[in-house]
Amino acid sequence: MKPTNIRNPFKDRTPKELWRNVTTNYSHWLSFVILLVAAAIVNPAFLSWTNLTNQFVQGAIIGICAMGMSLVIASGMIDLSTGSVVAFLSGMGIVVLNKTQSLFVFILFCLAAGAAIGMLNGLLITKGRIAPFIVTLAAMSAWRSVINQLGQGGPFTVNSAMYESLRNIASGKTLGLPNLMIFLIVISIITGVMMSKTKFGTYVYAIGSNQQAARLTGINVDRVKTMIFVYTGLMYGIAALLLASRLTSIQAASAGNQYEMNAIAAVAIGGTRMEGGKGKIIGTFLGVLMLQIINTVLIMANVPPFLNGLVQGIIIIVAVLAQSHKKNR
Amino acid sequence: MNLEMKNISKSFGPVQALIDVSFSVGPGEIHGLLGENGAGKTTLMNILGGGLPPDSGTIVIDGTEVHGMTPRKSNELGIRFIHQELSLCNDLKVYQNMFLGEEFTNRQIIRKQDEISRAQEVLDTLRTDIAATDLVGELTTAQKQLVEIARALLFKSELIIMDEPTTALNTQEIENLFSIMRSQKTQGVSFIYISHKMPELFEICDRYTVLRDGRFIQSGLFRDIDERQATELLIGKTFTKEVVKDQYAPSVSDTVALSVKGLCGELFHDVSFDLHKGEIAVVTGLQGSGMDELATALFGATPVTAGAIELQSGRLSLKQISHVMRSGVGMIPRNRKERGILPDLSISKNNSLAYFTALHRKPFVSDKEESERFENNRRRMDIKVGDPDDPITSLSGGNQQKVIIGKWLNIDADVYILDNPTQGIDVGAKFAIYRLINDIAGQGKAILVFTNEYPEIVQVADRCMVMYKGTIVKEFERKDFSEVAIMAYSTGTSMADGTDDGTSPIMHGGPHCDTHDMNENDTKEQNS
Repeated sequence: MKPTNIRNPFKDRTPKELWRNVTTNYSHWLSFVILLVAAAIVNPAFLSWTNLTNQFVQGAIIGICAMGMSLVIASGMIDLSTGSVVAFLSGMGIVVLNKTQSLFVFILFCLAAGAAIGMLNGLLITKGRIAPFIVTLAAMSAWRSVINQLGQGGPFTVNSAMYESLRNIASGKTLGLPNLMIFLIVISIITGVMMSKTKFGTYVYAIGSNQQAARLTGINVDRVKTMIFVYTGLMYGIAALLLASRLTSIQAASAGNQYEMNAIAAVAIGGTRMEGGKGKIIGTFLGVLMLQIINTVLIMANVPPFLNGLVQGIIIIVAVLAQSHKKNR
Repeated sequence: MNLEMKNISKSFGPVQALIDVSFSVGPGEIHGLLGENGAGKTTLMNILGGGLPPDSGTIVIDGTEVHGMTPRKSNELGIRFIHQELSLCNDLKVYQNMFLGEEFTNRQIIRKQDEISRAQEVLDTLRTDIAATDLVGELTTAQKQLVEIARALLFKSELIIMDEPTTALNTQEIENLFSIMRSQKTQGVSFIYISHKMPELFEICDRYTVLRDGRFIQSGLFRDIDERQATELLIGKTFTKEVVKDQYAPSVSDTVALSVKGLCGELFHDVSFDLHKGEIAVVTGLQGSGMDELATALFGATPVTAGAIELQSGRLSLKQISHVMRSGVGMIPRNRKERGILPDLSISKNNSLAYFTALHRKPFVSDKEESERFENNRRRMDIKVGDPDDPITSLSGGNQQKVIIGKWLNIDADVYILDNPTQGIDVGAKFAIYRLINDIAGQGKAILVFTNEYPEIVQVADRCMVMYKGTIVKEFERKDFSEVAIMAYSTGTSMADGTDDGTSPIMHGGPHCDTHDMNENDTKEQNS
């Protein structure tokens, strides 16, 4: 088109266009505010300080997983292994802690093993040329099976010597704020800065947007994809150590169940495009809180907890529908 | 078919793609639709094909007004649309693709044998060597284009719309297509023929309609105008035969910047040449000559099986594209949509990306540096842009291409490989790019352009190498450039007798013989 046919989009904006700008670019903020208002109307006690910080605390572990999932989805991939990997890492973490009696070794194990598992996923995808969906589906099955075998059905429980210091990681408070809340906020900020202010972040979106063009610009696509899974594995490691700390006893068969579902839901509500290329970390952060608020509201409204999964399924579909609706407009 | 489209308007958001356009085609008429990229041709045809609803205006077919056109309805009316971009399923066989959605069935069961024989019949009239049972994924681009055409000929139709049907075809295949069009025409079938190639339009079409910037400009008979007048109508200003290259002093130095020695790959072999600083060399050839693969191989993007590439700094390792870039080689890839742009990223990020992978060393990126980098390129190339933070897809094709070129200028390479740098962009932007290429050669860069458009060769090249069957068969100095001679070597015509005087009798079409533009199909119009 010749420029004569194009109106300058930055002047002459009508209120309608401004509204459209808000609904396209800041839709996650918009829905967050609407949800907050709705929750406050359902139950005014929702806005109490305790309850608000509680939303962060309860959303933290899945939120940290969702940070990794954001990268995976923004680059056009998917990770289904979240729950199993977190369960494996936290179960094994407790075994390591009991053996070594060292919090430091325990933390190091969770992070290193998480990164290694992520790297394995990444290498199978890039060097093995297997679809992320298949690799992580296999990983989901495999790591759950390993931890079930190791636990022989029973729980992994921290022994009494380390109980207090382990528990303190997740349940303690710093400067009057719950540690879990701080973890979530700090990790979200780190991930957000990484995605918007570093080359790596740009590469992630570039690969999700047009992998071929990204490669021809000199981006080492395989390496970046592997690094995405390493980072995600690291997030699972942090999530696992917080989960172990929070529960102090890990049920091999049920720990971390549905985490991938929740993480994907948070990323989807946060506005990251499911095909990759587009998305914001702040969106995922708000997505995590929104999921948590919805859960709380459902409990307040006495909806049977068995229906949580149904609600989440519907939320994912609605969020993705809203995205494709935007795209078609 | 007697078709009338009256006062059609259509806009996409703030962009008015069509403004009050009227257009008509009579029975048995081949109507050429002309316009630059973005003039609205494809939009108008999509409205006729039912793919897009018009904002206003009417479509009248054989005297009856058609309301609410849909692709199905237009099919039922006998309108067939051969789309510019290939829309075939690679994993299905040729006949399955051709019958897709319109299968011959007997109580829900597909009559496979009938389909195969009918498909084969049509393929044979096009004189292709494609078997109806071939897997589409295994065909070449040219063959796929022929399958697209065959699909439109499968059923009896009244009007066939062809949107750039010949981009991948060679002269013989085009001639076959034209003879089929002529015979269909005598049976009263009408055609709308969209093409950028003047010789083709003048050969096959009866009437023309020119669109420019979404407006109707003029209709008439092709026999009343010549190519020059048609081009002037198209671009809307007096067409001067400006040759950009002649406005620049020769800049070729004796220093060799890039030396290719006996390079072999899957589809090319024994390619050797030297490229000097300040020189612009062109590699040309037809589809299948191996030039596409050579271009990407020089950049490390397709594997090399033997041979070496040497730069001033020594032998170039092709293992990593980012390493090739750091060694001082940049490549602007062909096919912008598939290989060039990152559609979801902003203009400014698209502009920065090559710098990031090759030169950026700091842990964080700075918005300020990025906007400075972009501002430099914007001024240098006069990129028309509102806000650098808008997605790159908000720009027109020509401006997108300028951003892509700017992205590579940022790494300040010594050698630039430009693979089809003006593919699918309008004349104005093309000339801007020709000037830029000559500019940077003047600064001592060595430039290798891969193109199959003869006018482009004339605009930039000091030297032209012709590829045929995977290797360089002939080199022309600028003073010896001749479209006919280059075409002859590209087609292998004059090899036997060694004539290169441009009078080879075997060449079809005389001096107008067009170097068929083998671009892959991304010349789609930019409507937004």
